[in-house]
Amino acid sequence: MRWINRAKEKGAKIIVVDPRFTATASKADLFAQIRPGTDIVYLGAIINYILENKLFDRNYVLNYTNALLKVSKDYKLEEGLFSGYDAKTRKYAVVSWGYQLGPDNKPLKAESLEDQDSVFSKLKTHYSRYTFETAEKISGIPAAKIKEIADTFCKGKPGTILYALGMTQHTTATQGIRAYAIIQLLLGNIGKAGGGINALRGEPNVQGSTDMANLYNSLPGYLPYPVNTDKTMRDYLVHNGSFYEKHLVALLKAWFGENATKENDYGFSYLPKINPAVNGTFVKLFDMMEKGQVKLLFNVGSNPLVSQPNRQRVRAGLAKLDMLVVSDLFEIETAQFWREPGVKTADIKTEVIMFPAAFVYEKDGTLTNSSRWIQWKDAALKPLGEAKPDLEIVDALFKKIRKLYAGSTDVKDAPILQARWDYGEEPSALKVLQELSGYDEATGKLLPTIADYLKAPIGAASTGCWIYAGVTGNGNLAARRKNADPSGLGLFRDWSFAWPGNIRILYNRASCDDKGQPIDAKRKLIWWDIAKNVWTGDDGADVVDKTKGPDTPEGKQSFRMNPEGVGRLFAASYMSGMPVTPPADGLPAIGVRPGGLCVDGPMPEFYEPTESPTTNLLHPKVSGSPVALVISTLIGKSEEFPYVLTTYGVVEHFGAGGVTRNIPWLNEIMPEPFAEISKNLAGKIGVKEGDMVEVSSARGKITVRAIVTDRLQSYKVNGKDTETIGMPWSWGFASLSPGPSTNDLTIATLDPAGTPEYKACLVNIRGA
Amino acid sequence: MTRKMVFVDTSKCTGCKACDVACKEWNELPAEKTHLITSYQTQKDFTPKTWTYMTFIEKYENQKMNFLMRKAQCFHCAEAACLKACSSNAISKTDSGYVVIDHDKCIGCGYCEENCPFGVPKADQANKKYYKCTGCIERVENNLKPACVHTCQPGALEFGERVVLLGQAKKRLTEVQKTNPKAQIYGEKEMGGTTFLYLLLDRPEVYGLPANPTIPLSLTLWKDVIQPVGGIAVGGAGAAVAVGVLANLLRGNYRSSEDDSNNHANS
Repeated sequence: MRWINRAKEKGAKIIVVDPRFTATASKADLFAQIRPGTDIVYLGAIINYILENKLFDRNYVLNYTNALLKVSKDYKLEEGLFSGYDAKTRKYAVVSWGYQLGPDNKPLKAESLEDQDSVFSKLKTHYSRYTFETAEKISGIPAAKIKEIADTFCKGKPGTILYALGMTQHTTATQGIRAYAIIQLLLGNIGKAGGGINALRGEPNVQGSTDMANLYNSLPGYLPYPVNTDKTMRDYLVHNGSFYEKHLVALLKAWFGENATKENDYGFSYLPKINPAVNGTFVKLFDMMEKGQVKLLFNVGSNPLVSQPNRQRVRAGLAKLDMLVVSDLFEIETAQFWREPGVKTADIKTEVIMFPAAFVYEKDGTLTNSSRWIQWKDAALKPLGEAKPDLEIVDALFKKIRKLYAGSTDVKDAPILQARWDYGEEPSALKVLQELSGYDEATGKLLPTIADYLKAPIGAASTGCWIYAGVTGNGNLAARRKNADPSGLGLFRDWSFAWPGNIRILYNRASCDDKGQPIDAKRKLIWWDIAKNVWTGDDGADVVDKTKGPDTPEGKQSFRMNPEGVGRLFAASYMSGMPVTPPADGLPAIGVRPGGLCVDGPMPEFYEPTESPTTNLLHPKVSGSPVALVISTLIGKSEEFPYVLTTYGVVEHFGAGGVTRNIPWLNEIMPEPFAEISKNLAGKIGVKEGDMVEVSSARGKITVRAIVTDRLQSYKVNGKDTETIGMPWSWGFASLSPGPSTNDLTIATLDPAGTPEYKACLVNIRGA
Repeated sequence: MTRKMVFVDTSKCTGCKACDVACKEWNELPAEKTHLITSYQTQKDFTPKTWTYMTFIEKYENQKMNFLMRKAQCFHCAEAACLKACSSNAISKTDSGYVVIDHDKCIGCGYCEENCPFGVPKADQANKKYYKCTGCIERVENNLKPACVHTCQPGALEFGERVVLLGQAKKRLTEVQKTNPKAQIYGEKEMGGTTFLYLLLDRPEVYGLPANPTIPLSLTLWKDVIQPVGGIAVGGAGAAVAVGVLANLLRGNYRSSEDDSNNHANS
């Protein structure tokens, strides 16, 4: 908020769109109350307005996006379904979302934006249905207000978008952010100082943990996870592209050292493979437990019994485990699920083991923020009592396990015996970071920079996370704390280290014109130095090759990580570099790099939440997302549960409260969960501020205190009066401040990427 | 030490209550049992263990929401009623503008609380001594910012020289008034000028603050007129009567009814 306040002092206009008038909203120039889960419809209306009124940055759209590329003739959207839908599997075949390809296997380019096959035309047609009036009927935001937001944002360039879980915890999570991306690409706001889309993460190291493969379907550095049909690395490269070869080999070298050789496919067979038909995301995991598919859960720094949607499933899953290990500071709810009031302890056979974990200030390591700054910190204190840093716990476990497997000749034990594990007798976090940074495997020396890593032949270098390459190449750059900012643009290039290669603003090539010179003289990031024939500037240049000028094919690429080299208004299915003639050996061809896919559609389409008070106005037959993964078995109807519940955290507590509910000062300033309701709704159910209310959904009911407030207003959806109820979710039955868990009410239904829809479900409410 | 000031810019405050926690942490004050009172407010008044807390006021008019957050603590007045009322010379004022209580001298008479137009000092029931915000005088005298200022994330609290910050506050007011025409400075002239000076987004009454806080007339009469004279000239029974009457006045018949209602709104 400090930075938003400062931007405001410098004349920035602040727009807040939220289901509730929040503390942040109180600082905004413009506030709109939205019905939870309807962001895509108002954002779609803004996209439509930009296109209809030609408010887009024409040069940027033509040169730095795929607007001109021709989309396959087979692509269509009918009645809310994109082409390729299979109703049985609830999945899309994405081949019709591709480009029209020329004989060189490259996308065909249209002559003009008006070409009916162009991405731009598809975008225009798609969003022509999204008028301000339609958006008002669906979202509850008045049409005039949406127009005001659109005008303010289009005029205030460069504009940035900050979002958090309110945007992502929906069955249309990824597509909501895609809608932001389209707006920012149209306005030319990506790759520029003051532009971009910024995720305000829910935890200080979400970025770091995601970089390090916290998701079940990626390896460190966002390498796709091998699937069970990948018998060899070649199979892996066929569907993932040759781009990943170097990085996967470097990862295997980091993990298996000299035991990863060209002869043994660099130990590719040591990697576990996933079954792509099984969604193994966090929420789904507990259903697998309930079915007896998981024997042991090692639960670190997470409190799923409080945090999971429809959390009754978590209790059922944990009860089916042979063993549960919880590593945490306190005996959190998850660790004592077996003694939650109402649970028959005698029936539970799960053995529970608690590891005392050290707190964040008691361990060395890094936190990576959402600007990709890898920030090193030293431990400030020694851990209390027997508590240990996570690294020590994992190190001790691994060493012990390896001893137990010693001498085994079983093939499946090979990875454990072959692994390189050399973080010291007392494991050092710096050594782990150095492994991520990367070594020259021949000399055993750290590679100085990411450029050195990229230059090394395949198999000659190792890195445990290729995007972190160079972070400790010239000393521990993550520990730098120089506060100088000669650019005046907030780049702070000598403060820590930003991946990749200390670039502070990604895609900054797009801040330059076709001559490679900054478009905005006040916000110069990089430029082509004509005299020295090199890309230079205040930021690291995000270009393919620093010596390739703006008139070369490499120097024109503004979004070099995309296979098309440009920003994607339409997320097409496309693999670059597919050879024109198939390989002589008859094996499947390998391309270079695939485009990132949104498996729920190439352009964001509005779908109602799984539990919705109304039907989708755009396509009533396909009301909710056709690819949402609905896990909850009890689904409520609006006749019985007429109100929309949205859930959130409170500033006074962190996450599921495992730590903060054990801190008396924090319990003093936020002692209990609550339900925020409008005065209108309070009047209707005869409740006044401070009364207790019972909130119920198809899945459960809880009793909390009511906050009756003007910060929530009744609104109309499709002509019908509608109410939103807001509730924080950070409480559970344990801790110094026990309280009912709001996730007794929420629905377990997921975006295809695995994010649950915490932000919208149906409930009823009455005085308690 | 020169006159200091804490500028509380409520236009930047987000009501996160970090100031509250920082205060308790630095001053080693224990947490107290609370529940939600209104909006996100959980503490309704000062206590001997709560020297600063966040107030939330929600005002909805003309379809516009005004969500007002204000950090409450001792104002550290230049003309401090508590200091004037103190019967044991336990309260003093520093050159830097801080009003502090010497707990060795405090006898728990309660005149400070009763005369403070903001009702700040509160008695510890165990030792019958009065407690309130110290302004982190021990930090300030060692070139540190007060704990609350040090922790303020959105930059709503600033500490510095009064002459400098007052100018800054006025400049900020001009800016804020463009979008909040009712915004005003509170504490420039009030009580002779307060060390904690506010930029409020609305009238003080909306925040539950007295529009014109003053030292109660009874206190002025007693301290500046009768007591000096009484000690010398008026003897015997007459003096005893006068003391009795004025002591009753001191015990609370000084607040206007408006102030009383404000105090309720504040709680």
